[in-house]
Amino acid sequence: MKISDLLRLSTDNLRRRKGRTALTVIGVVVGTFAIIVMISLGIASNAANEEMLQSWGDLTQIEIYNYQWGASSNEVPVLDDKMLETIRGYEHVVAATPIYQASDLNAQIFAGKKDRYSAYAWNMFGVDMKSLEAMEYSLLDGTFIADDTNLGKKKIPVLVGEYMGYEFEDTRKSPNSGKRRRYWGDVDAQGNPVLPFVDPSHDKMTLRLTAYTGNGTEKTQDFQMVVVGTLKKDETKNYFTHSGVVMRVEDLKMLEAAYKKLSGAKGGSGGGSVMISANGQQIHQKDNGYENVIIKVDNVDNVAAVDATLKELGYETNSLTQIREEMQAQVAKSQMILGGTAAVALLVAALNIANTMMMSIYERTKEIGVMKVLGCEVSKIRNMFLMEAGAIGLLGGVIGVALSYGASLILNNLNTIMAFFGSEGVDLSGIMGGMGGMGGMGGATISIIPPWLVLLGLGFSTLVGILSGLWPAIRATKISALEAIRHE
Amino acid sequence: MAPIIHVEHLRKVYKVGHEKVIALNDIQLDIQKGEICCIVGPSGSGKSTLLNQLAGLEKPTKGCVYISGQPISEMNEKQLAKFRQAHLGFIFQSYNLLPNLTAAENVAMPLMFKGVGRKKRLTMAKEELKRMGLGKRANHRPTEMSGGQQQRVGIARAFVAKPEVVFADEPTGNLDTTTTRQVLYRMLDIAKQNDITFVMVTHERELATCADRVITIRDGRVESNVLVDEEQKQHDRAEMFKDILEAENKAPPEPKTTVPASSIND
Repeated sequence: MKISDLLRLSTDNLRRRKGRTALTVIGVVVGTFAIIVMISLGIASNAANEEMLQSWGDLTQIEIYNYQWGASSNEVPVLDDKMLETIRGYEHVVAATPIYQASDLNAQIFAGKKDRYSAYAWNMFGVDMKSLEAMEYSLLDGTFIADDTNLGKKKIPVLVGEYMGYEFEDTRKSPNSGKRRRYWGDVDAQGNPVLPFVDPSHDKMTLRLTAYTGNGTEKTQDFQMVVVGTLKKDETKNYFTHSGVVMRVEDLKMLEAAYKKLSGAKGGSGGGSVMISANGQQIHQKDNGYENVIIKVDNVDNVAAVDATLKELGYETNSLTQIREEMQAQVAKSQMILGGTAAVALLVAALNIANTMMMSIYERTKEIGVMKVLGCEVSKIRNMFLMEAGAIGLLGGVIGVALSYGASLILNNLNTIMAFFGSEGVDLSGIMGGMGGMGGMGGATISIIPPWLVLLGLGFSTLVGILSGLWPAIRATKISALEAIRHE
Repeated sequence: MAPIIHVEHLRKVYKVGHEKVIALNDIQLDIQKGEICCIVGPSGSGKSTLLNQLAGLEKPTKGCVYISGQPISEMNEKQLAKFRQAHLGFIFQSYNLLPNLTAAENVAMPLMFKGVGRKKRLTMAKEELKRMGLGKRANHRPTEMSGGQQQRVGIARAFVAKPEVVFADEPTGNLDTTTTRQVLYRMLDIAKQNDITFVMVTHERELATCADRVITIRDGRVESNVLVDEEQKQHDRAEMFKDILEAENKAPPEPKTTVPASSIND
């Protein structure tokens, strides 16, 4: 007996009882539809979350906040270069860089004839260049600063942010004049963008430290800033790519030392920051090495493990992965509840199929007997019924998938549709979890049906059909031929 | 020549509640190839049980049925199905055509089980139907046909795969006398033409007149097993199918009325 014959018999039988077949199929349609729509909502929700997180920053980064206050934090190890090396040695850690800021430093950058243009160097960072490279910071021009770069005593190699030039102001214009500063994004009358006063990658720039000694005398020291490269703006990495000045940690420390010497401050670093506690006592910030360190992990999936190791050391950390996991857990929870409801629908559909098959087999007992007497193997009879059950499942699956595509289309264009009918738009994008709604604006995609979900829907509904047909089909083969042909 | 059907010490016991009912008791039989064999006996004598045993529809309590030398009582379900496809045909009392299939599709069923392609088997089925005088009914459904026509479809179905043995359980039980004769004539004609062994159960003793061998069962035992006299047979058949033969413009075989029909009566 050929498969095509089995198929023909099965479909003939299904067609013979159109009403009953249709009702059974509808059950499967409802189940499949519910499951697919629920899963598609979850997928869309996760996608929206992911997109939002990506706009916030790099998912593979962990940031260490090492601000130690008071005496309670003795057990936290000092986060110095040695510690950084240890961290770099951890599994999955690709790079680790301090984001070092010399908070005490009073420095300004000058450019132009007679130092006409000036900028306050508040956005100056000391980093590990190799790590920056490993973290995939991109440069518009130039290179990262090599470890062995030495331009001379008074020359400091730096990287500048893409729009660093806009930091400068024209000191010849009055502080109230609108012409004193130029801003990124401004356009002139012709609609051309307004260029900054200074082009950092070509113009000469001087970094001037200004210190006041104990008796109030102003002392200055100049360094030449040599721009080695321009960073491409990417605020998901760090805001210094916009308009900051980035140099090697040792260069910034050198500047700091020079500044201290200039101001005549006594030895002993740090201890600058002071916080007033609730009971009015002064709490000094402990010098515990770098305050801010960024660690790059090779893969999003390993972030949690590295993060745990760092926390074990005693550091306070922050990574988007933590938020991401919370979001995913949230979505998963909603998905479980909704998906569970959908699964119940499919279970009912399965029972329905089983019932239909039992009815069908009871009605066709005599036929089964006749077929057996005429030499049909029992395995073929079983397969025939399994095919019928599977066909019900598949048919239900196909219609269910088609309907869910329709539902998905409607959900995703709900605002347009509502607007068409003159109602106000509704935002359902938060349906799967509180965070989801923040991801998109207006016509957010709230239901995504990827191809694998279609295949899963079809496969699952067919499987449900076959499984529910299994018991009735096996029962059919057990009927004795003799009893079956006597059956009326 | 070895018999095509050989029955050895066949015994069948049913359990009804706590009581055992012996349906067949130590049956010994041989049926030769090409024979038309009638199994007769009163109701409850065990004749239907014997037929079911011969066709392998039930397992015996003891003993064995051999067809073409194969012990069908010892086969498993799958082997039996294969054996049926290759060697056996079956005609039911209540026709048992599948209502959602056309006459031709019904006839083609055994061929389908054998794995014959749809086009080929439908052609074969239509030829068989033509032989049964139902050429124009090939695409009709059973519900659109009379009882006699349905049974002729049933006969075509039993013979279409050219089996070695065809079993028939009261094939004319639901038909009137005229139709019975027509149907009977068709069955015998086709069996004889193809040298197919035909085993039929009937309670109408009259029908047994056309058989080569008449086996009488009573209380689960073979009461008599008689080969019918050749001349007697010729005469009875001519008498029985007179109308049909005339209708088909066939010259009836020479009547030999002198020999009384006695041997088949108890």
